[in-house]
Amino acid sequence: MKRHDDEKKGLILGGTCELALCLAPMLIAKEIVPVLTFRSEEGQRRIEEKLAPYAGHYETVRLDLNDTASIEAFFSRTSSSCDFLVDFAQSDYEAFIAGADESRIYSYFMENVAARAVFLKHVTRAMLGRRRGRLVYVSSSAAERPAPGQGFYSAAKLASEALYRNCGLEMAGKGITSVILRAGYVEAGRGRIFLETRPDAVKQVPIGRALKAGEVAETILFLLGPAAEGINATVLTMDGGLCAGKIGLLKA
Amino acid sequence: MDIIDTLRELITDIMDVEGETITEETYLVRDLGAESIDLLELSVSINHAFQITVKDDELYLRNFRLYIVEAERLGKEPVSYLAERFPFLATGRIAEILADLEVGPAIKIKDLVRYIVYRRED
Repeated sequence: MKRHDDEKKGLILGGTCELALCLAPMLIAKEIVPVLTFRSEEGQRRIEEKLAPYAGHYETVRLDLNDTASIEAFFSRTSSSCDFLVDFAQSDYEAFIAGADESRIYSYFMENVAARAVFLKHVTRAMLGRRRGRLVYVSSSAAERPAPGQGFYSAAKLASEALYRNCGLEMAGKGITSVILRAGYVEAGRGRIFLETRPDAVKQVPIGRALKAGEVAETILFLLGPAAEGINATVLTMDGGLCAGKIGLLKA
Repeated sequence: MDIIDTLRELITDIMDVEGETITEETYLVRDLGAESIDLLELSVSINHAFQITVKDDELYLRNFRLYIVEAERLGKEPVSYLAERFPFLATGRIAEILADLEVGPAIKIKDLVRYIVYRRED
């Protein structure tokens, strides 16, 4: 691929997850350079293994929301500006509110909400310098319909959704827009593990199946395109109808 | 190119104003009609153009009124109290702002110039 200064670049936060690794080749096919973030050497190896056929067509960078130094280091690089951001990053913490570890509560929200806000501040300021940018935050249907034990995950997702929504609200006049995609059951990553242990869960989904990683990635690709610019500062739900009806009452 | 010329370029690029109307005495908000998002873009542009770290709250004197109240509460003399918080402003300029504050946002182009000089020396 021809590499030049004005090539289109997209930052993928949480670049080691299955959805990110599914999206990356789609971006490369459109001559966009994905910049995938990783948190550990293991994550970097995972990217390199999965994207081996595309070597030279993507970049990787260490960026850990749990490590503010890595955020600062990333944004001190001159090449840190990007045309868009797709944010998959989210660590998990399942616990009942009444049973949660208190130090874990603080660190969880520090990483998944406060650090994300700092990260977004830097990203949007970089985009503002170029007067263009698109932000796609990949949320979850658990934001709206958490299971018992998912209170922290849900709260962090909802808070992050609010941050992204406001970015689109505040900066659309300067060419920076945002959209939140709430995905339902997806056959990828944590979703796959969950579905393996709870195969009956998909019976609650009106379309009768979980989403494929490729379907979600295709949707993100559309949301990154010019035709989707009008979809700004809002939440889209892609869950096969999961959250639309009453649970357990799908059949009349 | 000196600081004021660069600022003129940045401001005209961001806002729909004529560069020649901008002097050191021009009010950023009152005269030029800068809105919050313009101020944000301006701080990013200043950061890039002058290669300085910009703290928006400092640059735009955001907590100025809060510090006045704080000084009163603590029984401190307001000008020197504000001078500690905005070290890039001369005490004479702070007194000027205090007298001008009731009319509206008092920040002028010369305050931006002072901030840039201060940050460069930092």
